[in-house]
Amino acid sequence: MSDTEPVFIGFGEQPSGRYPNRPFMGDLVRVGAAAVKDADLTMGEIDTILLIPCLHSPADQADLVFSRVVEELGLNKKVKAQYMVHSGGSTSDNTIRTAAGLIESGQAKNVLVLQAEKWGSAPVKEMIDMLTANGIPREWEKQSGVSFNAVGALIQQRYMHESGSTPADMASVCVALRDWANLNPNAMYKDKKLTVEQVLGSKMVTDPIRAFECPMLADGACALVLTSRGNARKLGKDRVVRIAGEGGCVSHYSIGQEREVGKLGWEIAGPAAYEAAGWGPEDADIAEIYDSYAAVLTSGIEGLGLAPKGEAARMFARGEFSPGGRLPTNTNGGLLSAGHTGVGGGTALLTEGVRQLLGRAGPERQVEGATRAVCGGSGGTYMDSQVLLLEGVSA
Amino acid sequence: MSSSNDIGMDALTEPYREALRRGEFVVQHCKACNRDIMYPRHLCPFCYEDDLSFTPGATTGILHSFAVHRVGSPSGFEDQLPYAVGIIKLEGDVQFLARLWPDAEGDWGQYELDGEVVFRAADADEMAERPVPWFGLPA
Repeated sequence: MSDTEPVFIGFGEQPSGRYPNRPFMGDLVRVGAAAVKDADLTMGEIDTILLIPCLHSPADQADLVFSRVVEELGLNKKVKAQYMVHSGGSTSDNTIRTAAGLIESGQAKNVLVLQAEKWGSAPVKEMIDMLTANGIPREWEKQSGVSFNAVGALIQQRYMHESGSTPADMASVCVALRDWANLNPNAMYKDKKLTVEQVLGSKMVTDPIRAFECPMLADGACALVLTSRGNARKLGKDRVVRIAGEGGCVSHYSIGQEREVGKLGWEIAGPAAYEAAGWGPEDADIAEIYDSYAAVLTSGIEGLGLAPKGEAARMFARGEFSPGGRLPTNTNGGLLSAGHTGVGGGTALLTEGVRQLLGRAGPERQVEGATRAVCGGSGGTYMDSQVLLLEGVSA
Repeated sequence: MSSSNDIGMDALTEPYREALRRGEFVVQHCKACNRDIMYPRHLCPFCYEDDLSFTPGATTGILHSFAVHRVGSPSGFEDQLPYAVGIIKLEGDVQFLARLWPDAEGDWGQYELDGEVVFRAADADEMAERPVPWFGLPA
């Protein structure tokens, strides 16, 4: 592999959950400093900062756009460029594509990717209304009253119809993610157990989705550092994570315009990524795929070839994606149990993929010998299906 | 629901909403390539001409998926609970979100995916407040 190949060399993360005493900018600089240190770089060596947006506050979002982070990190006149990439829940995938292109082309040397969100501490009703107002054509379809939970419900209803999955099968997806979250000290639900009976016993919110099948809005922050492979070697890095392949599909804006609500764009996104990687879904050691509702995850698993069509939920029920299962999936607990940190939910999954491939997920949750990860993100009303295939390699 | 985001939209939205207030359902049609379009666009998304007008939509469609709101709704829909929304597919290759009338049991348990649904207008007041097509089970 060439010296210019982009690789992940460090990460940082703050626990997800409700942390009203943790300010937004404080989370950003802490997680950024942690990631740079983890990469064995000094802050002054970062020449490009890519920002993942926040959704809790237009004012904080404006701070991000207008380079407050650069100033807070003491990088005035040191950083070449700082800007935001935004595609909702798939932002992390598109940000990594951007970072990779900058490094490969020589336009950036060391890239710091930063994300923080305060969804867990912001007024819930305001956040839900904001989510509902966006991603739905306001002139034509907002008047139907479709809510954000209903978008997940439309996907789940169709997925269950096509696959014959039962409510218990779908509940088992949430339970598997909770089992993973119980192993993750940074997860919102690190201490709380969940059973299929509890899920099925919770109140129906938006048929067919019950209360315990809805993601909880959370505060959280992640950072990633990328550089070139040649530079990683110079830094004395032993193990790094490379991007073996990538693919994507923007399938719709409005969920009302998605032709196959039970499938989304995954089948279109996957093949190019696997072809570039030279390996297939059967070779994956772990999967980290967007999961704000159970069927969003099962459609991703199936569309990316990690389960036969229609079988993913039943395989969850058999424990195949749980700790100790055949294909460890969403090993941080996912959005459903680590916490829905807005745009950051996808970033947290990607960070977990990098952490696992660096062999640093801790004794309880590290998947032994994990070298190949299938990572997937989706934004808005699951408007796109983005896949990054990551590989842990020696520098 | 007017805001700076809606500037200049009236020419496009009003004929559609006006039809709903009359109890009729129309879809956009491109005369240049003879295709139906939903939701209405500024240029035809197939041929990029702007020879667009509204035409009566098919009143029978297929239910692709649906969701029933029981707890929680966007602001302004609290008094509508419970209510259902569905994705309706029509002949002519158009689809859109619609409200679903309750079934004979007063719930939505009789709806089936890929089953037939028919347009049945809500009253003019409802259409004035929330202009969106309503579909129900065939009589």
